[in-house]
Amino acid sequence: MFEFIIIMLVKIAVVFGALLLTVAYLTWLERKVIGDIQVRLGPMRVGYHGLLQPIADGLKLLFKEDIIPAEADRTVYLLAPLVAIIPALISFAVIPFGSQVKILGRTIDLYITDVNIGILFIFAVASLGVYGIVLAGWSSNNKYSLLGAMRSSAQMISYELSMGLSIVGVLMMAQSLSLVQIVKAQSVVWFILLQPVGFLIYLICAVAETNRAPFDLPEAETELVAGFHVEYSSMKFALFFLAEYANIVTVSALATTLFLGGWQGPLLPPVAWFLLKVFAFIFLFVWLRATLPRFRYDQLMGFGWKVLLPVSLANILVTGLIMAWR
Amino acid sequence: MSIELPVFYFLAAITIGAALIVVLGRNIVHCAFSLVLAFFGVAGLYVLLDAEFLAAVQVLIYVGGITILLLFAIMLTSRASGPGVRILNEQLGLSALIAGGLFFLLIYALWKGIPALAIKVPTQANVPTIGRVLMTSYVLPFEVASVLLLAALVGALILARKEKD
Amino acid sequence: MEITLPPVDLGAITPELIVTGTALVILLVDLFLPRDRKTPLAYLSLLGLVLAFAASLPLWGRARYAFKESISLDPFSLFFSSLFLLIAALTILISTNYLEREEIHRGEYYALLLFATLGMMLLAKGMDLVVLFLGLETLSISLYTLAGFMRARLRSNESALKYLLLGAFASGFLLYGIAFLYGATGTTNLKKVAVFLGKGAPLSDPFLFIGAGLLIVGFGFKVATVPFHMWAPDVYEGAPTSVTAFMIAGTKAAAFSAFLRIFLYSLAPLKPNWSAVLWVLAVLTMTLGNVVAIAQQNIKRMLAYSSIAHAGYILVAVVAGGELGGSSILFYLLAYALMNLGAFAVVILLGQKGEENLNLPDYAGVGYRHPLPALAMAIFMFSLAGIPPTAGFMGKFYVFSAAVKAGYIGLAIIGVLNSVVSVFFYLRVTVMMYMREPRAEVGPIYTSPALAAALVIAVWGTLQLGLFPGRLLELALRSIRPLLG
Repeated sequence: MFEFIIIMLVKIAVVFGALLLTVAYLTWLERKVIGDIQVRLGPMRVGYHGLLQPIADGLKLLFKEDIIPAEADRTVYLLAPLVAIIPALISFAVIPFGSQVKILGRTIDLYITDVNIGILFIFAVASLGVYGIVLAGWSSNNKYSLLGAMRSSAQMISYELSMGLSIVGVLMMAQSLSLVQIVKAQSVVWFILLQPVGFLIYLICAVAETNRAPFDLPEAETELVAGFHVEYSSMKFALFFLAEYANIVTVSALATTLFLGGWQGPLLPPVAWFLLKVFAFIFLFVWLRATLPRFRYDQLMGFGWKVLLPVSLANILVTGLIMAWR
Repeated sequence: MSIELPVFYFLAAITIGAALIVVLGRNIVHCAFSLVLAFFGVAGLYVLLDAEFLAAVQVLIYVGGITILLLFAIMLTSRASGPGVRILNEQLGLSALIAGGLFFLLIYALWKGIPALAIKVPTQANVPTIGRVLMTSYVLPFEVASVLLLAALVGALILARKEKD
Repeated sequence: MEITLPPVDLGAITPELIVTGTALVILLVDLFLPRDRKTPLAYLSLLGLVLAFAASLPLWGRARYAFKESISLDPFSLFFSSLFLLIAALTILISTNYLEREEIHRGEYYALLLFATLGMMLLAKGMDLVVLFLGLETLSISLYTLAGFMRARLRSNESALKYLLLGAFASGFLLYGIAFLYGATGTTNLKKVAVFLGKGAPLSDPFLFIGAGLLIVGFGFKVATVPFHMWAPDVYEGAPTSVTAFMIAGTKAAAFSAFLRIFLYSLAPLKPNWSAVLWVLAVLTMTLGNVVAIAQQNIKRMLAYSSIAHAGYILVAVVAGGELGGSSILFYLLAYALMNLGAFAVVILLGQKGEENLNLPDYAGVGYRHPLPALAMAIFMFSLAGIPPTAGFMGKFYVFSAAVKAGYIGLAIIGVLNSVVSVFFYLRVTVMMYMREPRAEVGPIYTSPALAAALVIAVWGTLQLGLFPGRLLELALRSIRPLLG
């Protein structure tokens, strides 16, 4: 029992340490990649090629003055960043990043826990993320914040539906809700090949769910001066920032698990494969942001409800028919 | 004493406390947020009862969907989210009496009735079981539910959509 | 992981499938029809209802269960299914004209009406509390929308909102009751519940009592018995008139069909306990409904209170129970549906755009200006009041004689007294039509073949049942028997 708890705590510490570090360096990566695409250098000053930039940014945010607007709802205002970051981090509890390793004669599973409803757990937790935004937008008592929050929640609810439906095909084929089982079901062929439509829908919805370009209307600087977190400063702002990037890592990891065979792959050790695939997705996110213009709001809603939703339903239908026919 | 008992009391306290805020809170947005907490408490209780599927669905639908829509409605109607909205009406005494009566009746029933329960607790993993009975024994209700949702969808559209002319 | 599917007996639910299919087709066809030409949809739904009725005929042959005993195909459920199909068809006949006049003629109306009919049919057939609940919700959700169909009118909005809030509240009670019943018996299947209770299980189980009590409250809301009737007058008055007719005739019958199956069949061993409660409810409901109806000036509101009173009469028969009580309920519900739908058809006929011309004084002199509709209205009012030779009289006669034979003489006397009171306000309409001078000129009335057909059917039915009730009563007896075991 004691040993179990120790191993658990170590695993949690390692996973969340790595996750936070990844998130911090994502900001650097994003600036570098976008810089490269736009033919500039990006951060160069702090450290070699700006490698220490995230740390400098973190320190800066930490020492900034913390402002709470006078008319804000204090409790909710303070709570909101926490509500945003916790779901973003907690999803990682069920994502398997490798099969098993032997350390000091003990077999250790490379995931924090394998719940038999893993995927539902992630979706349930992810659906909470929207609360951070709504709480922040409302409690700031600022009309831009509120507008941003409303837009964001409408967008997230709309795309959550298609996202949930897009993976049903995968679940039908894997016949399990456990992420470990889903990865194991892909030992022969990855689900991206069997479920190409589902994958595409998932990808689009994932971008929308994380409020990233071209679906970044909630924080559209030009109209909403940054939307729901316009009033936030210092570490609270940093938490929103972290939450967004943590969400990117989560949806990428989930995409890897559901469609790209998770940790499986030849030659390289499983963890390396996993990281490689996740990184590819993250790169895609950055690439999208650097190249695509923002959607208009009505286009966004129309696309979500009139294209993605019917297509994902049709995908389930076709998957079911084929499975029944075989 | 197992660890489940204190956890149960903790979750029950959260659920009931949050539910009380929902009913008695002065600020309707706070009420809505407390509702989230109450739903969470219930989800926790489901987990405690080994009904993980139900717990996940509870969070997914009630917290992630329904309450957000509630908040939406509240925020769109700015007058309702203002602090000056009355939450109690003149019939406080009467309704308290009836609600209290029902409460004690239910307590009595549970007190007397739980030892005589005839339900058998299933022991298998519940997700595959739920899936299987939905597609076999309960396939008719399952399909009827889809018609029900369609009717609700059509109804919502009729009441909400703008007239063209 | 292999799943063996149970035999899916689609034949058992053909009528339901046809109704659902018609609703879906209507939703699709609606897209291709111009805004001012929705009448084909009415004919389409009529066709669907007739087909569904035809499909239900072969099922009368032998009683059986389907879908793992979650629905029952016995004469009881088929009797009610046919009744609901008739009610839906008559409602559609009286709707088209009205919807056009009020400029709310939209395709979804028919689809929702059919969904509601589906819900009612499931309420009659359901052998499992889960099916019953879903049926009830399908019915209710469709009705919430239909009640608010006249979006531009505040009254209609109020009606929909009140119905939704209180309906949801009632559903909560019902669900709670189902949960307790499940706790007490370990099953939601009504047959198994009956078997469980029949085995002489401890009937003092508080779960059972609370469950039954909550079910009574829930169904009490749905059929509008006192003291759970508060919503009914406002909802019935505010809803579009055709919808009110459907609700008054259909919802009540549907809720009673499920109520009878639960209480007369599954919970029969508990009868000594619940019949006492229903005795009180019956007296309260009859008396309040009739007394308050006297004060009403608006005809829709008057009919709303009258419907409350009639729920009371039906409860009298439930208390009486047995073959006589049960069959009298079936008879009564059919008679009640015919005379109410007929009365509402006349209300629609005489009404003016914008829900005008619905007050009692507006009926002054109608007898001379529109003799035929006035005659029909007089027949329906006689029938509602329970005056021979009409269906209403026979219905009340069977109900009260069942009560007397079962030994509830006091209850029967209260019922008869109530009937006498009710004569006053029903006949007031007739008096108004024939013995008062017409008021200032009102606009012309718009009739249509459909409305006329509905009126003729209702009048014919009301008189037929009043003069020759024997065959229907026999059918009702045959239908109730399997339920009583």
